[in-house]
Amino acid sequence: MLFRIDPAASEPLFAQLASQVRLAAARGDLRSGERLPAARDLAESLDLNVHTVLRAYQDLRDEGLIDLRRGRGAVVTDRAEADYAGLRAALAVVAQEARALQLSPETTLALLKETLA
Amino acid sequence: MTRPTTPSPSAHRLSSALLGLVLPLVILAGAAALAWSWKDALPDPVATHWGSDGVDGFSSLAGALAGATGIGAGVVVLLWALSWRAGSATSARRMLNATTTWVAALLAVVLLGSLHLQKGLTDASEVGGIGAVMAAAFAIATVVAAVVYVLTPSGQHAPGAVAVPDDATRLPLGEDERAVWFQRARGGPGIVVGFVAAAATAVSAAATGDWWMLLVTAGLVVLVAAMFSWVVRVDEAGLRVRSAIGVPRTTIPLAQVVLASATTVRCFAEFGGWGWRTARDGRTGILLRSGEALEVTRTDGSVFVVTIDDAETAASLLNTLADRVRPSAPVE
Repeated sequence: MLFRIDPAASEPLFAQLASQVRLAAARGDLRSGERLPAARDLAESLDLNVHTVLRAYQDLRDEGLIDLRRGRGAVVTDRAEADYAGLRAALAVVAQEARALQLSPETTLALLKETLA
Repeated sequence: MTRPTTPSPSAHRLSSALLGLVLPLVILAGAAALAWSWKDALPDPVATHWGSDGVDGFSSLAGALAGATGIGAGVVVLLWALSWRAGSATSARRMLNATTTWVAALLAVVLLGSLHLQKGLTDASEVGGIGAVMAAAFAIATVVAAVVYVLTPSGQHAPGAVAVPDDATRLPLGEDERAVWFQRARGGPGIVVGFVAAAATAVSAAATGDWWMLLVTAGLVVLVAAMFSWVVRVDEAGLRVRSAIGVPRTTIPLAQVVLASATTVRCFAEFGGWGWRTARDGRTGILLRSGEALEVTRTDGSVFVVTIDDAETAASLLNTLADRVRPSAPVE
């Protein structure tokens, strides 16, 4: 998968990394059992401190999205796939309903944001 | 972007001729000459073939030497002819040169070792087994081939001289943004072929009691482990492809990338199989399964292919990052 970070953005670097893994899992690009890059490799490629990557991985582990195992690295869990399948299905329903009501994407997004707040 | 690119012919024919042709032929001729000098100490006929129950083939010394050097020279010339036509990629030339040397060194050690055992005998059928000679031959040939592999010069590049074409796919990336693309590739039909072959050699080693055959089994298992699980990475260092066990590995620096694209390959039709291979048209590649692949044309004209999912993203990122190291690149 593609990882990108923007050092100029206000979001902390570890949070940028973690949210990309979440997005990839939610989209279905990351399947259960798939291994994320070794923290050392990812840190080297993005010119980051390895602790930044480890902090992102630890957050993802605390959420149950990945398992961190010695020697095997970061592996995407079954739970991630199952949980996000429900969310993907719900989002598809939202999109379908919005289209049926001819709501603009902006209006739909605003409604979603209000619901989340 | 799905049309495969044909690389330019090799510009390394002198080094290929010296390391891939002359050196192996000298090894074979030297072994034959040394063996001939032992003529007076050897029985006549000499033992030339060992079956599961010991010696089962005999020949005159001249016949044995002609047979071994003839087969060796034939294989060497054939492989060298292949490298003459194709293989501008460094890895392809290294493998071909190492292979011809390996074949020649193996034959030379087997020939000299098996004859050495017969020195002083009056009847060649009294000679024992040649398991130790076979093991030594595999070891020595592998070491010599590794040296030739390292000695083969790498390609001549004009880094950064050629701009990535404007119509190549790009990934929108901010000026300060850093990006990396990771993907693992594993399995494919080749892994089945490899393990079946390994099992077959193990069974035949057990059936015949030729314990040295287990070296072949072990070699095949290592080969399968090395050839059928890869980590592919695109970042500011370029394209890096690394076997799961660490070697082999290869890097194409960004300055050597002329064009990256997503393409489709058919492993068997285009490359004749799976693993790290060279196609008939000279492209080099890591082939695990037919289908989506990342194809990279380098500044020396060679073309590298790796079969991988999501190749489109990898190609776009590689082109985008390659733009950054071109001095004339327009600032976006």
